[in-house]
Amino acid sequence: MSDGKDGSSSSHSQLSIRCFHELLDSIIADVASECHRVARLGLDRGLDEEEEELRLSEEARASAADPSSSGEVGCKYVVDIFGQTHPAVADEIFECMNCGRPIMAGRFAPHLEKCMGKGRKARQRTTRSSAITRSRNSRGSPVSVYAPYSNSTNSARVPNGTTGGAGEEFSDCAFEAP
Amino acid sequence: MKLGSPPPPMSSGDPLRPPPPCPHLAGYRSNAHGLSKPFRSLQRCLRARPPGRAEIRRDPHEIPRCGPCSPSPSSRLYACLACAAVSCPSHAPAHAAARPGHEIAVDVDRAELFCCACRDQVYDRDFDAAVVLAQNIPSSSSASPPSGCLRKRRRVDYRPWTPGPVERAVVGKGSSPLPFPGGSELPQGLRGLNNLGNTCFMNSVLQALLHTPPLRNYFLSDRHNRYVCQQNGRKKRGGNADGGESRVCLACDLDAMYSAVFSDERLPYSPARFLYSWWQHASNLASYEQQDAHEFFISMLDGIHEKVDEHKPASPGNEECCIAHRVFSGILRSDVTCTICGFTSTTYDPCVDISLDLDSNHSSIKVASSKSHASNGETQSISGSQNFDISTLRGCLERFTRPERLGSDQKFFCQHCQVRQESLKQMSIRKLPLVTCFHIKRFEHSSIRKMSRKVDRYLQFPFSLDMAPYSSSSILRSRFGNRMFAFDGDESDESTEFASEFELFAVVTHSGKLDAGHYVTFLRLNNLWYKCDDAWITHVSENIVRASQAYMLFYVQKKLYYKASEHVAPS
Repeated sequence: MSDGKDGSSSSHSQLSIRCFHELLDSIIADVASECHRVARLGLDRGLDEEEEELRLSEEARASAADPSSSGEVGCKYVVDIFGQTHPAVADEIFECMNCGRPIMAGRFAPHLEKCMGKGRKARQRTTRSSAITRSRNSRGSPVSVYAPYSNSTNSARVPNGTTGGAGEEFSDCAFEAP
Repeated sequence: MKLGSPPPPMSSGDPLRPPPPCPHLAGYRSNAHGLSKPFRSLQRCLRARPPGRAEIRRDPHEIPRCGPCSPSPSSRLYACLACAAVSCPSHAPAHAAARPGHEIAVDVDRAELFCCACRDQVYDRDFDAAVVLAQNIPSSSSASPPSGCLRKRRRVDYRPWTPGPVERAVVGKGSSPLPFPGGSELPQGLRGLNNLGNTCFMNSVLQALLHTPPLRNYFLSDRHNRYVCQQNGRKKRGGNADGGESRVCLACDLDAMYSAVFSDERLPYSPARFLYSWWQHASNLASYEQQDAHEFFISMLDGIHEKVDEHKPASPGNEECCIAHRVFSGILRSDVTCTICGFTSTTYDPCVDISLDLDSNHSSIKVASSKSHASNGETQSISGSQNFDISTLRGCLERFTRPERLGSDQKFFCQHCQVRQESLKQMSIRKLPLVTCFHIKRFEHSSIRKMSRKVDRYLQFPFSLDMAPYSSSSILRSRFGNRMFAFDGDESDESTEFASEFELFAVVTHSGKLDAGHYVTFLRLNNLWYKCDDAWITHVSENIVRASQAYMLFYVQKKLYYKASEHVAPS
């Protein structure tokens, strides 16, 4: 069979072609039988809903990409559903439950971090050498240009509407560039 | 398979209930004595092939041939159930027509029933059961599902109830009605949360939890009373009712937050007390920097679990330990199958959420059914065909439950073969929680390259989701050729009728870059969508939500989801 005479090689290749076709037919019948079962037992019931959801998603993205549509405003300076507006930095003042000092809401987290002696800044102050060798593995790297909070207690009295000297530290949370 | 004749009536979609039999199949079953008899002769001939496939052979070395065609070979052979004559599709109808009672045959390579008169594949539940049982794959569970959590939730018959005069008096004396907010079409419980300094990761998750139906109901019905809890804590610490600071209890702070948010106060609330408590609980996360919302979610559930009841044992999968687990806890099943002998090792693990990889390559969406409509001679393809490139939540779930071939460097020790063999691993959901939280893994950290990146790829997600295809029973069933058989996890009573249908109620989105981004939550209340952006609550259209970049998706079981209800006037 392997001698390569023309007659035997063509029947050899015919045989392999037939073999291939049988395998292919068998695979096709497998898939057809499985799909038939799925359809007849009703296991594919959700297809209509799925297609509908996909269509709605596509429409939504098209409409969101359309600049003329009055979509959401990226900026925070909007009126909420109750008709209220709010400053960029929350200005409610309450007492810190750790030290008792009055703190402005929007500055509470950085204050509390130092107040409780937690966080990187607090730790760095105590272990300066280890801070250099420590590898950073934080996803939310704060904007590291913010000024030290040496005057954190005084900043609580910043009047409403102004952001004080440390305004830029909230930029990653306030709003992002579109 | 079949041309021309009208299709038979559709099945109910219940995987355990067969479609109505054709008259020939019904005839065959009634002629046989009893129900188990019809396929008894076949059971001896059923041979299991690689896991999930079965074939019919009278003896192991038999090579079936179509009588009339012989000696030419033919594919797709059917053995008559009455006389065992083997025919190909072209000769089978003649065999049936000539002999009444010989209409039903079986595909010898696929173990599927075929009606030669109807010329269609037909289905029978007893036959399927015989096929599954014949496979008899050896398997083991290293841990059977913890019995406590698989105990059916106690069902109480629904009885309508209205308060009697005594109850009315008690309610009247002990409460004061909340005035409906101006514009009384606004839902209750909507209140902005002040950003305390890079805390939008916390605010976004809190908004979702404040409106998680079973969690909201728990706290609003005073099931964790912060005053009683603190008092009990003081008593335990030794008698002095007004001494010392109050102990840290995240559930108490959450209770206070529910009271504040569901009051009639509309100015934004500052969750300062909560932040303070959380930082004491999760001191490793206590720092002023943007954090991961999902990490916070896990940490918070852990905090509630720990503080609510220290007495209840925290055994894995036991959902009775705290409200957090009762709401979010599910069970994942993991099957590792030896590719040589089919031996399957099964383990069960509890989970409070499902983290899904976002594929970054090409389509994760199956080409849906070929429902194309020919109009004016051109085929108008379904809109889905244009979406080949987008990722979908269902696609992620399909990938999550897909059999995965473990690499040759991860050979699994097969107890049957007693050597390490190449294996297949497949995940499925054994128990669906009341609320399913999906976490889309958009943040990739590579410790090798010391860098992280964010995957911005859009993910399509549905507003209604049926989780049945990803349940253990469905996955197992598909592994055995979708046979009608009660697999692990199948419960066929009405309490589970809609147990796998979920409705979306909250979406936590992330926008911006990895280290300079912003979290916003969309809430669905009374079928309207609201955007919760720290202190700002605004109304948005469905389109905005659908087009957003989902990071965490919260779905609740449909039976717990309150649709838009009529406005009830205060009495």
